[in-house]
Amino acid sequence: MPPIIEVQDLTKEFRTFRRREGVLGALQNLFVREYLTVHAVDHVSFSIEPGEMVGYIGANGAGKSTTIKVLTGILSPTGGKVISNGFVPYRQRRHYTKHIGVVFGQRTQLWWDIAVIESFKLLKEIYEIPERDYRRRLDVFSELLNLKEYLHTPVRKLSLGERMRCDLAASLLHNPPLLFLDEPTIGLDVVAKERIREFLKEINRTEGTTVLLTTHDLSDIEELSKRILIIDKGRILFDGDLEQMKNRLAQYNQVKFFLKDRSQVPRLAQIETDGIVCQRVDDLTYLIRFDRAKHSSAGVIRQIVNTLEVRDLLVEEEPIEEIVKRIYLKGEVA
Amino acid sequence: MPQMEVARPVPGPVPASSLWKFLRLHFEFARVGFVNTLAYRLRYYTGIVTYFIYVSVYYFIWKAIYEHSASIEGFDFAHLLTYIGVGWIIRSLYFNNIDQDLAYQVIEGRLAMDLIKPVNIQFMYVARAAGEAVFRLALLTVPTALILFLVYPLRLPASFGGFLTFLMSIGLSFLIVAAINFAVGTFALRLQSILGLLRAKFFLLELFSGLLLPMTFFPHIAQKILDFMPFQYISYIPMLIYLGKLHGIDLVRAMGIQVFWVVALMAIGDGLWRWSTGKLIIQGG
Repeated sequence: MPPIIEVQDLTKEFRTFRRREGVLGALQNLFVREYLTVHAVDHVSFSIEPGEMVGYIGANGAGKSTTIKVLTGILSPTGGKVISNGFVPYRQRRHYTKHIGVVFGQRTQLWWDIAVIESFKLLKEIYEIPERDYRRRLDVFSELLNLKEYLHTPVRKLSLGERMRCDLAASLLHNPPLLFLDEPTIGLDVVAKERIREFLKEINRTEGTTVLLTTHDLSDIEELSKRILIIDKGRILFDGDLEQMKNRLAQYNQVKFFLKDRSQVPRLAQIETDGIVCQRVDDLTYLIRFDRAKHSSAGVIRQIVNTLEVRDLLVEEEPIEEIVKRIYLKGEVA
Repeated sequence: MPQMEVARPVPGPVPASSLWKFLRLHFEFARVGFVNTLAYRLRYYTGIVTYFIYVSVYYFIWKAIYEHSASIEGFDFAHLLTYIGVGWIIRSLYFNNIDQDLAYQVIEGRLAMDLIKPVNIQFMYVARAAGEAVFRLALLTVPTALILFLVYPLRLPASFGGFLTFLMSIGLSFLIVAAINFAVGTFALRLQSILGLLRAKFFLLELFSGLLLPMTFFPHIAQKILDFMPFQYISYIPMLIYLGKLHGIDLVRAMGIQVFWVVALMAIGDGLWRWSTGKLIIQGG
């Protein structure tokens, strides 16, 4: 099957003008403007196969949302080529958007002052959903997302988690083959997040819906998507699955250990050699982070148990938060 | 999970929607506009008071002016008072906030939510505004009319047939205002903040539509220029119909031009929309 989304050399520049300060500056602004060009997305290429769930991550301002906005037909790119579900999104917006679902976590596509069910009815008309399909999908979503209690509540009175669930249902009422989610779990509590993840997995499994989601919560990625795309300063830094990312990009392993009692503390200095540094977590808990290239876990553990009396000991891979943080900070992979 | 063997629509060019589907969808938009307004019904009680005060102020001003002359530019006092009073009553009906709605969609970064829907944005906004107009008809136009007709000696319509024509003409006024507001609102997409522009438009519309005074009161040269603009077809023309001052071919011509402006302005709005979405900047994220 051909890819459902193909992005080639996608570039989006914004031209903004630099505002001068003060009264004189404001006057000057009226006549002479200094323009700055911002490359929000810079020659980005990737393709997505039907049925994939892809996580799209990057620091604030990295270009995630801009990419999603081009892919959903909201923004026109400055350059490059995008074919999604057989359409050029920004040229055929009205036809294209009929076959996609979109959720922006920070906004709602529901009508603010009317009951949720009224919004759903309107969407039924907009997407020309047959009555029978509409009923069935509404039933299924109500059950999976537990919407029944507040279908008749105006959207403005819903909690964030409730609203997000309604938005998700709204985006899928017309059974689109393609779903775009921009930070769908932002601001949600653990239970609400979990429910939304389960729902997405279910839809992906039963309907084969292709999902592209952006998030800052890496556990979304760990639970949902095999594949991740990392973007920074408008460029794709990494495209691959989670295991690949860990193998390629994890630099450290860490050993957490619990001392038997405080008398062991002075001896800690003995193991701090050759780039191994102990970090204190609390009175009896310490953490050693070591370069995977230089040391083996076995060697480090041996040194710890030979030198100290420990009650317990735990080896961990570098958490993906740390890997991603390093990538964001350095702006490069490796 | 129950199976959902829903056939997916096949991607590709969508066949032209039938008129029926179009009407049904836009009736739904209008219904939502109506229901949405329910939440703000209190606002209309103050509206009634405001309209009453406006008309009262003009009543006293014109009364003073007419102290010295029986007729000005073909209007006697009773006619002019009816022109002003009924003019304000119908304003409560054709008036809409599409321009502000668009401006705030842009300011609050919500325009994206409109763009992800497979609809013609202009028609969606106009339909929603129509729903709000129906709401205002019940909560603002009718009560204001009752009060004004009780308090001031306003004249009833010249004839029943004329009244029906007048209602049709207001419908066209609504569409002209809606189209102008949409066209002006699209500038928000490029300029971000257009609230100042909207104020200017607001006052121009009040003056040139003939709401404040009939077009015949304008200097000759201004009348000639305004003849080529859509503004007087908002208030002046329906009011001439109400007063029974337009007959036969003149009446048909005037309403024909109203229709022309609806179509032309909507085409302009559509063009401006396309031109602006290419340069769109979405606030936030």
